[in-house]
Amino acid sequence: MTKLNTVTFEVIDCIGIIRLNTPPANELAVPEFISPALFQQWTATQTLKGLIIMGEGKNFSTGGNLETIFKNSSNPETLMTMMQDGHALLNTIYNLDIPVIAAINRVCFGGGLEIALACHIRVASENALLAFPESNQNLMPGMGGTFRLPALTGVSEAARIILSGDIVNATDAKALGIIDHVAPKDQAFEFAWQLMQKMTRDRPVKVIRSVMRSLKNSFELSQDQAITEEIRLFCELAQDEAIRRNTEET
Amino acid sequence: MKPYDVTLRRPDMTIQWHSENQVGRLTLNQPPSNTMTMGFFRELRILVTEISMDHTLKAILISGSGRHYSSGADITELLNNVNQQTMLENYQAMLMLEQLKIPLISAIRGACLGSAFELALFSHFRICAEEAVLGLPESTFNLMPGLGGIQRVAALAGRAKAVEIILRGNTFTGREALESGLVDAVVPKNEVLPCSLAFADALPQTLTGIDRKALLYKYFKPSHATIS
Repeated sequence: MTKLNTVTFEVIDCIGIIRLNTPPANELAVPEFISPALFQQWTATQTLKGLIIMGEGKNFSTGGNLETIFKNSSNPETLMTMMQDGHALLNTIYNLDIPVIAAINRVCFGGGLEIALACHIRVASENALLAFPESNQNLMPGMGGTFRLPALTGVSEAARIILSGDIVNATDAKALGIIDHVAPKDQAFEFAWQLMQKMTRDRPVKVIRSVMRSLKNSFELSQDQAITEEIRLFCELAQDEAIRRNTEET
Repeated sequence: MKPYDVTLRRPDMTIQWHSENQVGRLTLNQPPSNTMTMGFFRELRILVTEISMDHTLKAILISGSGRHYSSGADITELLNNVNQQTMLENYQAMLMLEQLKIPLISAIRGACLGSAFELALFSHFRICAEEAVLGLPESTFNLMPGLGGIQRVAALAGRAKAVEIILRGNTFTGREALESGLVDAVVPKNEVLPCSLAFADALPQTLTGIDRKALLYKYFKPSHATIS
């Protein structure tokens, strides 16, 4: 296990697990909560089939440290760079070609929620609480929350949640489309692990990465480009599988 | 209007085609599972070209012969004939259907899996039996959907749902598909064809500027359609 002060990483059965590790709040000292070099090192392993992001202890995360924000606000350039670095990290997570699940127990606020929104699938325990409390401090979500939330809920609900700062429970979050699954009390990780197993166990890494790449293409490329790439990836998998079956027969 | 004889022109007869009251009926016809073989796709490519020249049609209804829509491609045959050019032509045939100026409706009963679900995803409306079995099981064969299914599921159900159902490869019911936005309406299985035909008959002849929700609302109970 790679142990750092604030975040830990381990791999179990080809699934990477990132833990925000400053319990009980798992507050994010800086927006870029993992250094890009370290994140790259963790996820570069070609055998990795999926990633689960969770909080150590009872909560997911209470979000960013407001002191850090206000301390640096006198120096706009530093603050800007800091936010951009955090944003870039979340984009890297969002663009991974392995599935990323956020396993959310209890508190998931502000920057914590922005991390969860950058994951591909969100599992939250029935006692999870989600919120963007930034507006209570005369701030706003600064790491993609303002565009990732409306993509899931529509603009009107996102505006209500962000401007009110209201806490959303798991049931409502599911109905709004913010989370994808409700797990039993405090069981987000267990649920996420089972789901990850169903998606990745017995699947060759190449199948997983080809599907994830095609999904990404479907949002980023034109329909023509996306289908050309999809067919190319499909034919590669089919050739591999034909060879595998022929080898098994002989 | 007399259905024209398909036996002469399509000796394999894996697709039946005729029109009734200006509604074209495209029936996948290799019961029980209506497997989409290479022969099927060959016929589809020819048929689509012909359909595109028929300007008397006001809608097209796609369904399966017997109890199922279709179980999808023949995997063994497919693996022995991997070819990017053919795949692209098959995709283009389905795209051409979608791009006809008239509504395309899939009436889904029983199994609708893999390539068959992808074909249904090219339709403008999917009317589905509540207990129909849908899915993209390709990843369980170490493959992936290859006819645009990934893009269409992502657009209809969102990225999270798409990641999950494509990597899991699990099947789901018509009711579950409705909840994910992957089909437009569910009805009891005996009503799928009559409802779809009545719906096809009542649709405007052009898709431009149509209000999907209003159309669905006229024919289906709110709890059974993607209206709310």
